[in-house]
Amino acid sequence: MSAEAAAAPVAIHRALAPEEAARADFYALVARLLQRAPDAMLLAELAAAPALPADGDRALADAWRELAAASAAAQPAGVAVEYDELFAGVGKAPVSIYAGFYSGAPAVDHPRVRIRGDLAQLGLAPQAGTEPEDHFGVIFDAMRVLAAGGAGRGPASLAEQRRFFERHVMPAAPRFLAAVGAARQSHYYRRVAALAAAFVALETESFQLD
Amino acid sequence: MKTTKTTNRRKFLVTAGLGSAGAVAAVVAGTRKAQPEGPHTAACPQPDGYHLSEHILKYYKTTEV
Repeated sequence: MSAEAAAAPVAIHRALAPEEAARADFYALVARLLQRAPDAMLLAELAAAPALPADGDRALADAWRELAAASAAAQPAGVAVEYDELFAGVGKAPVSIYAGFYSGAPAVDHPRVRIRGDLAQLGLAPQAGTEPEDHFGVIFDAMRVLAAGGAGRGPASLAEQRRFFERHVMPAAPRFLAAVGAARQSHYYRRVAALAAAFVALETESFQLD
Repeated sequence: MKTTKTTNRRKFLVTAGLGSAGAVAAVVAGTRKAQPEGPHTAACPQPDGYHLSEHILKYYKTTEV
């Protein structure tokens, strides 16, 4: 064995427990739906998705079923218009998709700066050309990476996941999702928000258990 | 004891239905085919300042005369 081979780090890949993989999948799906409107393929996948277990979390199962039904009825172009009307708009968007809007966003120590610092400590950075760090699509994707690994790193410890969740998801996501649900422009995204809110509530409770 | 706490959290998630949420996995697997990785990458030196986002570009379009 050469000295180089002897010094090379040994990577041990442990399979994620099913519930941890499912958490990462929920984060991935919510992140994707917040990054941009679903295309025809994603709408079809959601429409054809089987129900969640009926004996599980009721709010999550109901929200999943309603999102599937809405996906079956939706047209990609219509949902794309809704996304733009909700989150982009002309001038001020009806609903801000940036966490800073909901957590005060002082000029100094803006949430974007704090998120950037915390991501760097976790070995992560948004790819060039993506949305700013406090975009909820970026925040949920960060939780996806922390739960399952990816972007060149393994899953984060539960303590690290909880810390990021409590610092960047909890202070702003519930108000953001409530705003999406209440906006008059929100039809398809009302269902997305309901699913995300049910999942965030589940995560909030689960993080208190350990 | 740490082991007991971890088991409780796991039990909570499994009871909530996340232990058998293959429906979500199937949907996400479909999206991964189209976009293999999310917006995150391993940390590397980032250019200073802000970049043009899709929203900003859309806003610029609205200002065109």
